[in-house]
Amino acid sequence: MKKLPVISLLTATTLLIGCASTREAVRPSAPDGKAVVGDPSKTGFEEDLDDYNVRIADPIEPVNRVTFWINHQLYRYALRPISKGYEFIVPEKGRQAVYNAFENVKFPVRFANNLLQANFPRAGQELGKFLVNTTAGVAGLGRPAEHISWLADVPAADSGQTFAFWGIPNGCYLVLPILGPTTLRDGVGLAGDYLLNPITWCGFIWGGYGWFIAIPAANTMRALPAQMDVYDAATRESLDRYLAARTSYIQFRNEINARAHKNTQENQ
Amino acid sequence: MKTLLYSITVFFLMVGAAFAQTPGEEKLRQALEETMSIAANATSSAALIEKVRPLVEKNMAFNVMTRRAIGPGWRSFTPEQQTQAIKLFTELSIRRYVGRFTIGEKPSVVYRTARMLGHGSMEVPTQFVYKGNRYEVVYRLDQGEGWRIADVVVEGVSFIANYRSQLDAQYQKGGVEGVLQSLKNAVENPR
Repeated sequence: MKKLPVISLLTATTLLIGCASTREAVRPSAPDGKAVVGDPSKTGFEEDLDDYNVRIADPIEPVNRVTFWINHQLYRYALRPISKGYEFIVPEKGRQAVYNAFENVKFPVRFANNLLQANFPRAGQELGKFLVNTTAGVAGLGRPAEHISWLADVPAADSGQTFAFWGIPNGCYLVLPILGPTTLRDGVGLAGDYLLNPITWCGFIWGGYGWFIAIPAANTMRALPAQMDVYDAATRESLDRYLAARTSYIQFRNEINARAHKNTQENQ
Repeated sequence: MKTLLYSITVFFLMVGAAFAQTPGEEKLRQALEETMSIAANATSSAALIEKVRPLVEKNMAFNVMTRRAIGPGWRSFTPEQQTQAIKLFTELSIRRYVGRFTIGEKPSVVYRTARMLGHGSMEVPTQFVYKGNRYEVVYRLDQGEGWRIADVVVEGVSFIANYRSQLDAQYQKGGVEGVLQSLKNAVENPR
């Protein structure tokens, strides 16, 4: 319930900035609740015109572009070399284990957001996955839950997804320093995820160099190779990296939200 | 005895399922399996692109893809400009699409039930599993082109929509010439 002030703030800010009237989906949702590309009722060129338009309000595009450019240089000259170095020094199995462990620790983020979306079966799945991976997977280094069909492939919930589930619109597009593409809604969601992450709690309880610097740095490092891959996949062979990343981000989040929504409906 | 009977039934069910596949699904499956085998044995991305090129050219509907990627501006293109745009976009598409396959890795693919979208269009949802990570990939096929791939949607991100946002912006800024110039730049300066 601590989230309520944050949400009112978000709503107020959204109204103030006045970019709440964004049409979000790539297209109207299909009956199964999943956004699809392609409308059977239209043919030929008429269809080509309407399809494939991804709409997102971007009133501060010039500012976003500057941040995006700085991020790109940062990735190119600092984060990518660090990521490559990490991949060179730590063997793949080790990297995967560290990655898994940090994902496992983030369990409260997924669990709480499943509850906030009233998706109790999926909250149960997350709990089961956490217990199996923490015990049989040795503190989450392994993912034995992947071999239990009930626990494999549980869609990961996050705070931005919950806000979307509650009907809060994207607001406008934002590029955050270092973190990259997000929206007003998802940005507040990131803050929510940060607060729900036990690493943050430990930092506030014990403080010190280890919890405030070393552990978060390791957490960033373990995610870097995957993050660089996502960035490359979105911007590969692009004409305009900024637009390629923006379109990809919005479509990806729409898909995640649609999937979560569908899963909740199926579980009710 | 029961086990044998069961195995035989399962076998015939599987054979039945294989035959029940539509020509579009069958064609997609063949193209994908072939592409993935080549990627699994490739040594460099440049070599991979050259090896897969004929396969991709046979299996992707580049005319339709270019038209859809450019969007509203397409109407202002002369036939010569359209040909030029298709040629450039084809090159870009091949590099972008093939670049998504990881060299030396063969993912396992689950083919899900295809959906007919009407007007000779069909969606084949698939799931790729690379090193224990799952990726939802939807292939959209067009019958008019002999069930060729007209769009690939990876985790909700449409290949065509990704280019549409960029090409439409170029058209708003610099018209047909702007689009052609930006395509040319992208082809000449690989990213």
